[in-house]
Parts: sequence; structure tokens; C-alpha cells
Amino acid sequence: MPSRLKRLQRALERDDVRSISRRYFISNGFDGALTSVGIAVGSYLSGVPDGVTVFKIGIGAAIGLGTSGLWSVWEIERAEKRAELRQIEQAMLTDLGETRIQRQKAGARQVNALMSGLGPIIGIVFPMIPFLFEGAPLSMRGATLTSIGVAVSVLFVFGTYLADISEQNWIVAGARMGLAGIVVAVLNILLPG
Amino acid sequence: MTYVRRLVLDLLKPHDPDVVTFAESAADCEGVSGVNVVLVETDKEVENVKLTVEGDSIPVDSIHEAVEDLGGTVHSIDEVACGEMLVEESETPQD
Repeated sequence: MPSRLKRLQRALERDDVRSISRRYFISNGFDGALTSVGIAVGSYLSGVPDGVTVFKIGIGAAIGLGTSGLWSVWEIERAEKRAELRQIEQAMLTDLGETRIQRQKAGARQVNALMSGLGPIIGIVFPMIPFLFEGAPLSMRGATLTSIGVAVSVLFVFGTYLADISEQNWIVAGARMGLAGIVVAVLNILLPG
Repeated sequence: MTYVRRLVLDLLKPHDPDVVTFAESAADCEGVSGVNVVLVETDKEVENVKLTVEGDSIPVDSIHEAVEDLGGTVHSIDEVACGEMLVEESETPQD
């Protein structure tokens, strides 16, 4: 177990691994946050009576999207890393199994998959938390609005993070990402069903 | 007991890990006091490097293992110096 942790730690130190993991994390986190807005608005509009039910639906979605993120990236990166290794093996005319290169690629794949699975969980679980307070301090309408606010905040944070690594204006980048949450909420209200 | 004091290897390696990692890995072997890696030729996927290792008692097998663990292959052993003192290559009329 410590060697596996060390491998993940070493993989995280590599710029290429961090870069790909970041993309998966933000992309799937974005999916998760927008899904949570859909769940919150859809539940409120269809008359779900209590917040705990909405929270449970949200957790179900988080499990689904988290598993999807982890599983799909595991398989995608498995194929990509194998192809990369095979290309090097052909150039080297040797088997690179059980070498540091192979272990590095395995570590990178694990980090990519973990970050991909973590993104939607964060994107959904945080916006669903206000529904746990429905009843005492919050009404169903209040919980829904707070949930949308949290989802927009999560998206804003994703945007500022992207702005930080690409040296953009963090307010503009955050607002651009956050706007997606508001657009999804409005679409849910306007579209039939 | 005869000790290997200098070992020069011709290696083929992928671009990643880089030559610094190769040098560090060879230098970490016990009995090695210094390492030099020179890039000889570079290709699209691979590069050819010359690895020079010096020390009081170079563990040749460990050096080979370190190179192979990093995905490199030893093309040839280009120079070996053994014994109590380090003997340089001597010039001959053909040189």
C-alpha cells in the first residue's frame, strides 16, 4: 500500500499527469454541478415534498456520474497509455513491461481516473447539502435557490482555478463558468416537463 | 577481488525518463562515485546516450538493472577499466 501511495504521489508531481487530471476533474465536475442544478430545479418544480428525498436523488446521481468518470477514464487511459508504451516498445525493439515507464503510466492512469471520479462527486454533493436543511431553517423553495447558489459557486471556483493556471482574469473566468448554472436553471423552468 | 573502476555504456533510451533520471539512477548505485551522460543522437521516439560511470567498485549488474528499469537497453559496453589503478586508453600508431 505505501508503494502504491508513493506511485500516486510521484505521478501527481508530473506536469503532464496534473494537466490531464485537471481536465477530467473540471470537465466532470462541470457535468456534476449542472446535473445538480437540474435535479434541484426539477425536484422543486415537480413537487418533491421534502429535501431529504432530493438529497438522496442527488447522491444517486453523484454515485452514477462519479463511477462513470472513474470507470470511463480508467479504460480510456488504459488504452491510451498502452498505445504510448507500444509505440516506444516498437522504437526500442524491447519489452517495457515491469519497467519504471510502465509503472509511471499505471500511476498516471490511476490519478487521472481518481480525479475524473472526484469531479462530479464534488460538483453534486455540495449543491445538494442545502436540501438537508429543508424544514427547519429553509423552505423547499429556499433550499432549491440555495442549492443553485452553491452549484453556481462551485462552477465559479472551477472557473477561477482555470483562470489561475492560464493567467486569465479570475472574475471573468469564474463568471463565465457560473453563468452555465444559471442558464441550466432557467432552461429547466422554461422548457416543458 | 577485481573491481571495475570505469564503465562506459552505449545506451538506447526513450525520451522519457530524461538523461538526468538516468544519471541519478546510475549514481545511486553503491560503489559509484560519479556519472556522466552524454546525448549522442536523438530520434523521434528514442535517443542514444553514452553513460560513463566511475567508482571504486562499480556494480555492473546493478547498473544494467537500473538502466533496464528505466526502459533503456545496453547496445554495447564501450570501455571497462579494472584493477588497483585507473588505466587510460593508450595511443597506438593506428590512432
